[in-house]
Amino acid sequence: MPKCLVDGREIEFEAGTNLIEVAKKGGINIPFFCYHPGLSVVAQCRMCLVEIEKMPKLQTACSTPATEGMVVKTHSDRVKQAQKATMEFLLVNHPLDCPICDKSGECDLQDQSYLYGDANSRYTEERRTYLDLDMGPVIKKNMNRCIHCTRCIRFGTEVAGIHEMVAVKRGNFTEITTIDEKQLQTEYAGNYADICPTGSLTIKDFRFKKRVWYLKKTPTICEGCSRGCNMEVHHESETIYRCLPRENKLINKFWLCDEGRFNFRHLHDPTRIITPAQQSGGLMITDWPSAVNRARQTVQNKKTAVLLGSDLTNEEGKMLLDFTSNNVPGAVIFHFGTPGVKNVADDQDADKILKRKSKTANLHGMERLGIKPFEKMPAGIEAAIVIRGGRAVLPEIKGVSVVGIGVFRKSEADTFAAVLPGAGFAEKDGTVTSSNGMDQSYSRAIAPPGQSKGLSEILMTWANSKEAGHA
Amino acid sequence: MSDPLEKGEQDTLYIQHFNEEARPLPYYLEKMSGYQAAKKALAMSQDDIIGEMKKSNLRGRGGAGFPTGVKWGFIPKQSSKSKYLVCNADESEPGTFKDRDIMRFTPNLLIEGMVIGGHAIGANIGYIYIRGEYAREAKLLDAAIEEAYAKGYLGRNILGSSFSFDLTVHRGAGAYICGEETALLNSLEGKRGEPRVKPPFPAQAGAFGGPTIVNNVETLAAVPFIINNGGEWFSKLGRIEKSGGSRLFCVSGHVKKPGLYELPSGGITLRELIYDYCHGILDDRKLKAVIPGGSSAPVLTADEIDVVLDIDPMMKIGTMLGSAGIMVVNDSYCLVKLIKRITKFYAHESCGQCTPCREGCKWMEDVLHRIEHGHGREQDLQLLLDIADNINGKTLCALGDAAAGPVMSFVKKFRSDFEAHIRGGKCPSA
Repeated sequence: MPKCLVDGREIEFEAGTNLIEVAKKGGINIPFFCYHPGLSVVAQCRMCLVEIEKMPKLQTACSTPATEGMVVKTHSDRVKQAQKATMEFLLVNHPLDCPICDKSGECDLQDQSYLYGDANSRYTEERRTYLDLDMGPVIKKNMNRCIHCTRCIRFGTEVAGIHEMVAVKRGNFTEITTIDEKQLQTEYAGNYADICPTGSLTIKDFRFKKRVWYLKKTPTICEGCSRGCNMEVHHESETIYRCLPRENKLINKFWLCDEGRFNFRHLHDPTRIITPAQQSGGLMITDWPSAVNRARQTVQNKKTAVLLGSDLTNEEGKMLLDFTSNNVPGAVIFHFGTPGVKNVADDQDADKILKRKSKTANLHGMERLGIKPFEKMPAGIEAAIVIRGGRAVLPEIKGVSVVGIGVFRKSEADTFAAVLPGAGFAEKDGTVTSSNGMDQSYSRAIAPPGQSKGLSEILMTWANSKEAGHA
Repeated sequence: MSDPLEKGEQDTLYIQHFNEEARPLPYYLEKMSGYQAAKKALAMSQDDIIGEMKKSNLRGRGGAGFPTGVKWGFIPKQSSKSKYLVCNADESEPGTFKDRDIMRFTPNLLIEGMVIGGHAIGANIGYIYIRGEYAREAKLLDAAIEEAYAKGYLGRNILGSSFSFDLTVHRGAGAYICGEETALLNSLEGKRGEPRVKPPFPAQAGAFGGPTIVNNVETLAAVPFIINNGGEWFSKLGRIEKSGGSRLFCVSGHVKKPGLYELPSGGITLRELIYDYCHGILDDRKLKAVIPGGSSAPVLTADEIDVVLDIDPMMKIGTMLGSAGIMVVNDSYCLVKLIKRITKFYAHESCGQCTPCREGCKWMEDVLHRIEHGHGREQDLQLLLDIADNINGKTLCALGDAAAGPVMSFVKKFRSDFEAHIRGGKCPSA
């Protein structure tokens, strides 16, 4: 592999790699705003200027591929002066409203201002301001904070496949906006906020809910569809505030769809059943022993179907197979999840970007466990156990008594004989199999709410209390 | 053919023909050896034409002064994509009006130059990107092109050769930045007129992704003369090394006889042009300053005008010949007002893509506005120099340099004028 010298460090690189990435490989940070590894290179922000031997002018590292023997300086006086100048230019029209800005604490502009800028401003002229614009339900725009990096424009055309963000007017008055000031149409709008290096585009759902430095970050896998996009849950005090994409070059690259991004909200649904419940002329709150007892009685000596949501993890699936053969002998087992998508063959791309037809994360894992899809209730079935993580769409079940285990809203479980409240996707550890066949693990971010328990605990309670009943 | 420039204005290459609008085709054929060069070139190999161009020492007349033959040589011989020859007729540099006259009076000269250029680089499609304000010239070009098609000078199998060339006039929408070649190409493609990142250079990937040469009008108009008379002949028209031919100087401002002058490259000094050709300073006042190459060229003081008028000598004293738009200023005009106006132009014309130009040009304009109107501060001059220095050489295209250079040169060379504004609160020359 060819080598080059960055700040005296010899770094090997693959031909064609730009200097930002080469330097990063060698542990050297070159600051930038407009560059994004998932987007085309425009070299507009001028923050990544570096000095290259034998070149009279400073060069933008983002648009300069490394070549064999190239000697690059990223910390010379000239470079530092250029970085300071760029920071000064970027801030002359920036409102500096960090104390009330949602991006504060994770803002590229703020961070780099501290690292490369000057604490004092020489700007005494009037600042540029823009009018507000409603961009729809996902994104809040604040053009005054914008530094014109055009990442959003490029994301729209290059990734989301929709030309809706544009630059209008010219020079100092350039405004980044939507075509004809329409609301955003893309179903990937959240990414606009992720890639915005300032607080210019923020997510409405998250605004003013939590300062970002209070948030804990737990890596997870999105349960929105079978793609298995890598995601990060941001949470504090057992509450999830938002989900952001996590880079995975093989699956979702840097992106996340809005459906997956906001899917976490169902975990905090106020009508979610978080205490054990049993039927008593309506679904009534009870305690764990009573609810488990009712559940066991419901299926005891009855022809039973066990229905597994394909939103469960592989571990949960395996556990349920074992549990069923030991504790509900003779039961038939099916999986369910998305109406119209019964098996892996039905699970196709739902768009050209990330979305898949299966709206649960683990259809492929369930099939791999040998479980058959649910089509309709076989004749003679008297009782059913329905286990799900909260996202799989319940099949129509009529004329049988149902025990629900997992995450249910009150309206979904009103007629159930018993509900044993379980854990949703961010509330447990586990592995799911993505549509490309990869097994991906995630870990628990928050505890299951109220009296909800993990599936293993619920099943153990069921199995052990049965023995206790015999004794 | 003898040296036409020896005999004065009557035998210039261009100007002697500049007195009847759109010289008709018969005139062009008869008096200007029209399409003889094309005929000759179409029988020549591409390498021979480019060799002749290199010998001619023709340097680009748009501003950068890059040798045209060398530029043509950058075009790859083989290309999977169509090649293009684009004529930059945007002529938006303030103080420049030479290309307009070439297109207005001798449109066929440009067309023939493009046919030859197209053949030399292997392009079958040509565009003339003309600034929107040149509506009249666009119409004249369109008519001339139509006639050339009818007579077989354009279109399929030109003059019975195997070479085909289609030429289209594309009108701009009035942006200065579209005179920058990559912004021009974006605009031509129907995109926002913003410069592109280089590399790739247009010769590798230009219009519609194909290898493209972008040449100025005057550059292409010189090509038929070179082919007809040989590169060596053209080179000798210049009076200085590495710069051939005659060139058109656009003189405006405070001179008694402003206008378009055709002179040998490097043949005279700036002083001779102003005092001998243009008959001196208006109202016989004192010369104060000269902007020598369009408004983006750093300014010269009255003491600096003994410089030889050509690309290299001008560069040596820290300015540039640029588009040869020479603006002369006498002592009746406020230089602070002048540089404020120039800076306002660049702030207005900045495309807004890259940070230093977008933010810096407007900032300089605001500071200059304050100084002009008596609200300047002592530290403003250093601030102006800092801002200009922070723009200079750090932008995506040359517009940033074009805005920074004049500010730096005005503040450095006429500092006392600025200080008088700052201390006195008003213009001393007003």
